[in-house]
Amino acid sequence: MKKIDYGQVMAGKTPSIYTAKTKSRLLLIFGVVLALYLFSTYQTNSTPAELVIGLPNLFALLAKFFPPNFEVLIASSVVAAFSETIQMAIIATTVAAVLCVPLSLLGAQNITTNKYLYGFMRFFLNVLRTIPDIVLALIFVGIFGLGVFPGILALIIFSLGILAKLISETIESVDMNPLEAMQASGAGTIQTIYYGLVPQVLPQFSSLVLYVFEINIRASVVLGLVGAGGVGLVLDQQIRLYNLENAMAIIIGIFVLVVIIEFISNKIREAIV
Amino acid sequence: MIEFKDVSLVYPNGTQGLKDVNVKIKEGEFVVIVGLSGAGKSTFIRSINRIVTPTSGALMVDDQDILTFKGKDLRRLRTKIGMIFQNYNLVKRSNVMKNVLAGRLGHTGTFRSIVNLFSKEDRSLAYESLRRVNIEEKLYSRADELSGGQQQRVSIARVLTQKPTYILADEPVASLDPPTSHQVMSYLKKINREDKITTIVNLHFIDMAMEYADRIIGMRAGEVVFDGPVSEVNDQTFEQIYGRAIREDDMRGGADREED
Repeated sequence: MKKIDYGQVMAGKTPSIYTAKTKSRLLLIFGVVLALYLFSTYQTNSTPAELVIGLPNLFALLAKFFPPNFEVLIASSVVAAFSETIQMAIIATTVAAVLCVPLSLLGAQNITTNKYLYGFMRFFLNVLRTIPDIVLALIFVGIFGLGVFPGILALIIFSLGILAKLISETIESVDMNPLEAMQASGAGTIQTIYYGLVPQVLPQFSSLVLYVFEINIRASVVLGLVGAGGVGLVLDQQIRLYNLENAMAIIIGIFVLVVIIEFISNKIREAIV
Repeated sequence: MIEFKDVSLVYPNGTQGLKDVNVKIKEGEFVVIVGLSGAGKSTFIRSINRIVTPTSGALMVDDQDILTFKGKDLRRLRTKIGMIFQNYNLVKRSNVMKNVLAGRLGHTGTFRSIVNLFSKEDRSLAYESLRRVNIEEKLYSRADELSGGQQQRVSIARVLTQKPTYILADEPVASLDPPTSHQVMSYLKKINREDKITTIVNLHFIDMAMEYADRIIGMRAGEVVFDGPVSEVNDQTFEQIYGRAIREDDMRGGADREED
């Protein structure tokens, strides 16, 4: 083994952590990012100074949100809106959970061996996920009018994109050996999937469906803002009518609802995985 | 009866899996295929139930050339051929009963199997199969709670539940310790004797091949280089098949056998 003479290499010189090349590259990247930032600030006319100027306004407005008027939470219309939000999430999650089964099987490379079909499905699922939920809601409100139905449709497509992607990845990681054994014993494709694959993915499937249910609760609030039903719709009305104490109570109500649902679904997930 | 007629198989990457194989296996035989890894043992076995498809020649199973089989015919062929794997290939999260009943899938309609409507006969057959390999007390255990030897016995029970005419076993004891290996081989031999099921086993352990086989087929580089009854086999035969001197790791050992 050849020994490096460090004394020789280090003589009269303190080495730096990076080479000169790395340093100049980092400097260049930093310069580009800074230039992009300055350009964007100039173009949009929004500087940190704006924030400072607007700050007193912000506080003045925030003050109007307090004290929250919690009485609004027991008003029957608000209670109805809250339960509508939960119902929307339940319907959308259930429908998406059913629909994602064929989609995720077709989007899993180890099950769909036809590479054109697989490639198409992957592309389709990616497109599905690039459309933001709020855009979906706007489109469906445009088609079906204000209400819960367009909201549910938007949530179904939104959660289908997430679920199909995550579940197809779960499917790709299963142990293929039992599936081979079943095929070798003359089982059909559906039987092989049902007996060999489903038991392996069921725990993750349930866990992901619960996770998507949580996301749907939160998303359905936002969808209400564009007229797609639920508690978001009521929140939007209260802000427009300048009933900010009511709005604050509703916001806190939403927060509590989300926390409770996350807690419950976490407990269930811990129990099954 | 299984008959290979000039069967060759070239994999898409150019590897020659089988080369002009001519072999005839009669009803009720217990054949052990020996050879080094990569010699074509697995390809040979997997051609019989068409997990791989030979590229030329004819492969007759019960007087039908199975190389042309597709769809329904292929399923029917596989239904009468049971297979045992090196890694047991059980569904680890499912219980033993469900794993064993999976052997009936080829005989059960898709709808009936999905709603778990296995007939009473199927369920008692599954239990009887488990009893034959002495593991019926694990009926409701999850497969991944069992030891390797126990899992392999469950996979034998799965094959028994299938009621096959042929059993193929691809390195069934390669992942097991010597006593368990002998136990698994004894069960295979017993089933071969009692049910007259033609059995073909891949092994690379010389002593085990000698102990359990009626007939030994030796393979090297995709070709059959030896084929004869155990009585004609000696150490020179193996050196000829392996193309080198016999080493200690070609032996499984483990004379201290336990019955269960």
